[in-house]
Amino acid sequence: MLNRHSIFVGVTALLFLLQARAVAPAAGQLSVFAPQTRYQVDVGVRDGVDYVGLTDLLEPLGQMEAKASGASYVLTFNGRKSEFRDGKREVRASGTATIELNARFVILDDRGYVPVASITRLLPYVTGKTVMYHPASRRLFVDAAEFSFTAELRHDPARLVLSFPSPVKPSIAIEKGLVRLLFQREPVVNAGPDEVAYHDTFLSGTRFREVPGGAELTARVLKTAKVSSSEDGRTLTIHAAPGAVADAPPPEPAPAITSTSAAQEAASAPAAPRGPPFVILDPAHGGSESGSALSQTLAEKTVNLSIARLLKKDLQARGIAVALTRSGDETLTWNQRAEAANTSRALIYVVLHSSADGHGVRLYTAMLQEEAGAGEDGRKRRGFVPWEKAQSAYLQPSRHAAAAMADECRKAGLPVRESAAPVAPLNSVTMAAVAVEVAPLGKEAGELATAQYQEMIARALAKGIAGLTGGGGKAR
Amino acid sequence: MIGRGLKIVIAVLGTAILIMALYLMHLRREAETMESAPMAQPLAPPASGPEQQVTVYLPNDEDGSLRALSVSRALPSDNGERARVALQALITLCLRPDSRHPLGEGSAVQDVFLMDENSAVVNLNARFAEGHRSGIEVEWLTVESMVLTLKAQLPLLTRVRFLVDGNSPESLAGHVALGGWLEVALVSEAAARQGGGAE
Repeated sequence: MLNRHSIFVGVTALLFLLQARAVAPAAGQLSVFAPQTRYQVDVGVRDGVDYVGLTDLLEPLGQMEAKASGASYVLTFNGRKSEFRDGKREVRASGTATIELNARFVILDDRGYVPVASITRLLPYVTGKTVMYHPASRRLFVDAAEFSFTAELRHDPARLVLSFPSPVKPSIAIEKGLVRLLFQREPVVNAGPDEVAYHDTFLSGTRFREVPGGAELTARVLKTAKVSSSEDGRTLTIHAAPGAVADAPPPEPAPAITSTSAAQEAASAPAAPRGPPFVILDPAHGGSESGSALSQTLAEKTVNLSIARLLKKDLQARGIAVALTRSGDETLTWNQRAEAANTSRALIYVVLHSSADGHGVRLYTAMLQEEAGAGEDGRKRRGFVPWEKAQSAYLQPSRHAAAAMADECRKAGLPVRESAAPVAPLNSVTMAAVAVEVAPLGKEAGELATAQYQEMIARALAKGIAGLTGGGGKAR
Repeated sequence: MIGRGLKIVIAVLGTAILIMALYLMHLRREAETMESAPMAQPLAPPASGPEQQVTVYLPNDEDGSLRALSVSRALPSDNGERARVALQALITLCLRPDSRHPLGEGSAVQDVFLMDENSAVVNLNARFAEGHRSGIEVEWLTVESMVLTLKAQLPLLTRVRFLVDGNSPESLAGHVALGGWLEVALVSEAAARQGGGAE
């Protein structure tokens, strides 16, 4: 016979167990940006791990059906079937691939929850789409929905012109010495260095950083400033207000919107290197030009961009300054890419391609006759040179860079081939220039979309490039 | 009241209209099938002349290699026509079901023009470019194999240019630039670097 004390202990234990199983809400929100939609989903915490509901996350992106039966949870997204099990980390996706989550899968009220940290790895298999997660801002970009901007300081009168590929309408805050632009509705990312110093009488510098739910660009101005937008919303101009007088030197920008986690991430991240980039990465194709169709649902342009972003991240973690020619789904001509590389004052240009044919990594340098008397850095050249042969003085450093990347790929166990080939825009680049084509290891082109394989490629290439810096990206 | 004779005439005419409509639909379907079918008829008269050994360089997508292979073909005396026959022999091997570097159905070389003994212009048909797979390696293997095969026929050749259906294309299938002349020595050197069996 049960006494009152036993009943109390039993009920308390039951309540405790129920509490432990629950995913506590109110750990913030995840902003999802896809080409056709933008939405937010709640992030919950369980055992100190951030979780997100699969239904909330995927329903706006396509045809989704989920069925929970006991410990089993079967998800069908656009015809792709994935199987999850409650309390297990392993996920069987699209029939064959097994993916391991960072923490256990959870079923609650017939709804499936996955750790936020695993979505970059999981979603390409489950949805067939490419995704990029920015933890600092908790923004998830699907199918290269994000876009970057260019910033140009113009004179007479001095003004900073920011150009975007799509219309933007940021929240604007102007205070003494600072102009803050907060992008929360638009998937704005940064392709160049996060901090740029201008040393101008109007503008001393800009700083880009990711804040929860968006991105913030801060301009340090020396006069009272105004922000005006073009009619199409694609250009923002920061300029001096009429009758403006010089302000006192601005303080270092303080975080306008922050949270503990974002601040911690910023503190732990390596400082963004200043000055011209050491390497300029060019994800080939983009926009209306998709490149080759790697599978029925996978375009080359998307894989190229994913690898470029991972490579950028890896290089920055090694203290190497990196710039991208495109960080979203933008159309660029080959000449525009060569121009961007040549004006960036970088030392290495790497154009990234992917292919479903063959295996491993292929590295190409330009197919040109080497210019007589060209030095190791190509600087002995004098006079005018044809645009189509600009690379001829830089063939030695190009081959050196290709060999360094090839060595690291071999060390990583990847099949590697090196060759010369007439690949645009290598001939017009005035620095060491290499084209990289990534193919799957096995026969499945889907492998190219997996975060694991992309990370492996990015790591090997980053090591190769880092080896060229002669120490932490500082040797220029 | 309609007479019996008139009814019979209307019925006969109606049946004739129906039969003609069906026949027209049949003809249209047949014309569409002919349009989409690959060109089966020869583009040039069959080569006449003694059977000789032709060296072709067969690409292999698996390892990115080029393998020299001798095949027997009737070779005409004209150098341009000999070069075309050699390239067509290479393409025929690539079109076989067991090919390790498959090309699109209907791919063919229309002409090879020799500007002088050092320069050749190869005119590919539109199906060659349309049906070609896209990617640096697959496109480059095709170009390399054709340049090396030409070089085997024309030892003095120093440069080659490719046209597609008479026009100068920017690239073969989006990756390998074909807008200008290709230096044969550089192509041979590149093939040798990747173990492609250049001479």
